[in-house]
Amino acid sequence: MNALSDLTMALRLARRELRGGFRGFRVFALCLFLGVAAIAAIGSLSQALLTGLAEDGRTLLGGDIDLRLTHREATAEQMAWLAEQGVVSHVAEMRAMLQAGDEPLLVEMKAVDDLYPLYGEIDMEPPLPLEDALARREGAWGLAVDQVILDRLDLRVGDETRIGEARFRITAHLSREPDRLARGLSFGPPVLASLAALEASGLLQPGSLIRHHYRLRLSDGADIGRTRAAIVERFPDAGWRITDARRASPRVYRFLSRVELYLTLVGLSSLLLGGLGVANATRAYLATKTETVATLKCLGASRRLVFLLYLFLVMALALPAVLMGLAVGAAAPFIADGLLGEVLGWRGAPGPFTTPLALAAVFGILTALTFALMPLARAAKVSPSGLFRAQIAPGDQRPGRVALAALSLAIAGLAGLAIISANDWVIAAAFVACAGFAFALFHLLARSIAALAARGARLRQPLWRLALANLHRPGAATGAMLLSLGLGLTLLSAIVLVEANLDRQVGQVLPAQAPSFYFLDIQPDQVAAFERIVEDRPGAEKLRKVPILRGRITAVDSRPPEDWEIPNNIRWVFRGDRGLTWRREPLEGAVLTAGEWWPADYDGPPLVSLDAAVGEGLGIGPGDSLTINVLGRDFVVRIANLRRIDWSALTMNFVLVFSPGFLESAPQTYLATVEVPKDEEGALERAVFKALPNVAAVRVRDALAQVTLLMGRIGLAVKSIAAVALLAGILVLIGAVAADQDRRTYDAVVLKVLGATRRRLLLSYFLEHGLIALVGAAIAGILGAGAAYLVMTQVMRSEFVLLAGPLLTTLGVSGALALVLGVATTFRALGRRPAALLRNH
Amino acid sequence: MTQPLDRTSPQVRLENLALTLTAASGPVEILKDISLEVAAGETVSVVGPSGSGKTSLIMVVAGLERASAGRVEVAGRNLTELDEDGLARFRRDTVGIVFQDFHLVPTMTALENVAVPLEFAGIGEAFARAETALGAVGLGHRLQHYPGQLSGGEQQRTALARAFVTEPKLLLADEPTGNLDGETGGHVIDLLFDLQERAGTTLMLITHDPALALRCERRLELADGRLRNGGDLAVTRDARGTG
Repeated sequence: MNALSDLTMALRLARRELRGGFRGFRVFALCLFLGVAAIAAIGSLSQALLTGLAEDGRTLLGGDIDLRLTHREATAEQMAWLAEQGVVSHVAEMRAMLQAGDEPLLVEMKAVDDLYPLYGEIDMEPPLPLEDALARREGAWGLAVDQVILDRLDLRVGDETRIGEARFRITAHLSREPDRLARGLSFGPPVLASLAALEASGLLQPGSLIRHHYRLRLSDGADIGRTRAAIVERFPDAGWRITDARRASPRVYRFLSRVELYLTLVGLSSLLLGGLGVANATRAYLATKTETVATLKCLGASRRLVFLLYLFLVMALALPAVLMGLAVGAAAPFIADGLLGEVLGWRGAPGPFTTPLALAAVFGILTALTFALMPLARAAKVSPSGLFRAQIAPGDQRPGRVALAALSLAIAGLAGLAIISANDWVIAAAFVACAGFAFALFHLLARSIAALAARGARLRQPLWRLALANLHRPGAATGAMLLSLGLGLTLLSAIVLVEANLDRQVGQVLPAQAPSFYFLDIQPDQVAAFERIVEDRPGAEKLRKVPILRGRITAVDSRPPEDWEIPNNIRWVFRGDRGLTWRREPLEGAVLTAGEWWPADYDGPPLVSLDAAVGEGLGIGPGDSLTINVLGRDFVVRIANLRRIDWSALTMNFVLVFSPGFLESAPQTYLATVEVPKDEEGALERAVFKALPNVAAVRVRDALAQVTLLMGRIGLAVKSIAAVALLAGILVLIGAVAADQDRRTYDAVVLKVLGATRRRLLLSYFLEHGLIALVGAAIAGILGAGAAYLVMTQVMRSEFVLLAGPLLTTLGVSGALALVLGVATTFRALGRRPAALLRNH
Repeated sequence: MTQPLDRTSPQVRLENLALTLTAASGPVEILKDISLEVAAGETVSVVGPSGSGKTSLIMVVAGLERASAGRVEVAGRNLTELDEDGLARFRRDTVGIVFQDFHLVPTMTALENVAVPLEFAGIGEAFARAETALGAVGLGHRLQHYPGQLSGGEQQRTALARAFVTEPKLLLADEPTGNLDGETGGHVIDLLFDLQERAGTTLMLITHDPALALRCERRLELADGRLRNGGDLAVTRDARGTG
């Protein structure tokens, strides 16, 4: 028969075979369904949120194009040119201290002009026109404030407060302004005031960390991309950061993409585990078909025909499972919309989204194919001579060259798709490599255990002998059990350890290392007064202060950053303004990896000390040059040395530290950190505020609480997907044990006939499953710890501590659970009455 | 030892056939130096104690097992030169097999089971011919029944129909009545010989039943993998005549 007639014949036979039902294929379908559903849901949800983000881009950004300047306002020339392009609205943002009575509170102040907002609506109570809400009446400026401020300071609408030197009256409770998302990490609740009020507050000091946004609403028909290009061309050295509505919040976009990547990798793990279930179920099913295969081959069926026949059958089963998974994935954005819309501040698009669904479908089909290929190839090799009697030789079980080539192709396709479809190829490739390694390792381990068990089979103790025999006899589920348990526990251990390490960083290490306060915007002439206040406070110590101003790297060795191949881990350095400082002495504890620090009395051309990670990432070092834009002007500086920085310590650190004699003359403020006992925090904050009302105090504890909250939410998402993976693992485990049930029941009956008690048999099952659980958990713990170490040190660039508590608890509980599940599944074998079974056998 | 034959074209020709299989404990010699010819249309029984190599001999002739040494020629084809799929095609076109355990495909109806080899051969009217074949074994009324819905005797009759439907040159039968009671077995054997005679098929039949062996023209006796006694054609025929 030629290939085509083989194909049609295989289809015809497959239709007949479908009548036989699919015993044991529930696990197959469930595993595939879970994996596809997880990946489809993650992809759809992410797409829904990103699409929603793009659709609401203008509103979330506050305009078609946003130009952000730090410290300084746009020039008259720039404003005039911008006004020709459309309507321009000016918004200024800064951190400030709001005061009611003696209590100061750090707030995120947004000062707006009459045009605000260009898009969207402000939601406040009472619903006043914005102009009325912010207007000055009886000497007090109008102020709309977040509910948190009212609660924290026990204020009501109508009460008076102060910000800087200006008096404010709270006119409304601000629920949401449309462009809230455009702001960076916020350290305090938001308030809305007018630009005139900000000016009156006296906070507009030179060097203060103020961000001026110029939002453009383009005239009808104007193109965002072209206008953006025109802005860059007209003002190449303006030093502003340009964002447009096509990607309103690159930060949120990056964040979502990153979360999506991690969730997808966990989702892929569940699909991989599901693949094991696919392989086991296929193998078990085909084992029941040996006679049919042999009969068909006896009647003249070729190996290709047999292979195609069962390939069609497996795919006929995979397809509905994949489709059901896709249905769940497609529904995910609808289900989650209500939940997430509130939290995130924008609504996801409803979908369904073709790309993530198609991707999940291909993942599902490829997984089914990859894991079914080997059993299928083996089934096709079944010798028809088996019909006459059990063979003396077990026969050649190795798959043929074609099958091996097909398998390699399927694996390469699966790995390639996982890497190409991920938004970070390096991380995805590392995941694929780790998954492959873990797979190979557990496979090898299972074979070693079987070999060792075979050696131990001569033990005198019958209980042990029985347990070991179950581990190594032909057709034992040892491999499947160890792989599913081991891979599942590896994933779980890694997730638990990463989370525990992050918790430890945020909950213990950071609070212990980090200062209590960051004080921002201390003017140079206020430094002495500030130092006195801190010295007068009991318990206040470790005052550190550095001059700070903002600047942006616009070129490296005269080439703009766009021309450089910038590694992912240092991209952030080039994204916008960075804090700059200058020093005579090296920073405390600084470790130089290249070059020398300048002498304290250095007075030559400007030098800079650069973060070693940036230098290494770009392959530059001492002698190379950087062009830095400070306050709209470009300066070329030479790199003097590279400096290793531990960012996770939350102490003051700078990518760029300049030599003296260059930045001193530029307008700058001081940034200070202070440590103070917890019960003294309020007093210090009040004292600083009373004397220096323009200085903003950031409580590190509060900021960390925000980070903890965010981490908790991401952690919940990761755990949910991990739970799916774990469920797949449990299903595989139960499936593997159950597939062996008939033989086990028969064994148990024969042994009972020979006088074995149920207790004795049960003990041997405990020994057998206990051994697998112990070895699986031990190796999974080591692999999981290795993976967690890589994630913490390479991806999070943080410290890794092997936290034995969480790891051992996880492994112990899961191992015990696996043991109980294994024994419970096997336990049914003990319940059969010997006579009934022997009569039918 | 070559069997002298009075018919011109041997359907089966074995020359110095040896079969060695590898078991966990080492190589096991299953068949040793067997030379044999079976003429077209001849009926031959294969007898011998358990483990003497009867089934292996049949499997080699069916192309299900590869000879370790010697030459195997069936219907003019040298089986040692065929690959696995070539052997499958050879079986499809040349050989019919009847097993002790019937080996019907449980998910196919009786009609489909009988039609399958014709379908493999790409024969258009497979189902019409299968229906005729089932009618010939008295199962015209059981066409749409699944093997599980048929009695043992009916299943073996279906297997007979399947074996004969391609009009094979050679029919191999391995204890075809081993799983049937005496009366049912008798019916099936009558049917088998009836079909064989009508089609002129060469028959090689493994049996432990001396009476059944005597119904064949010649008796091959195997012991310890060697052909002990090819059976004298005249004696066998006499015995059959008197028995």
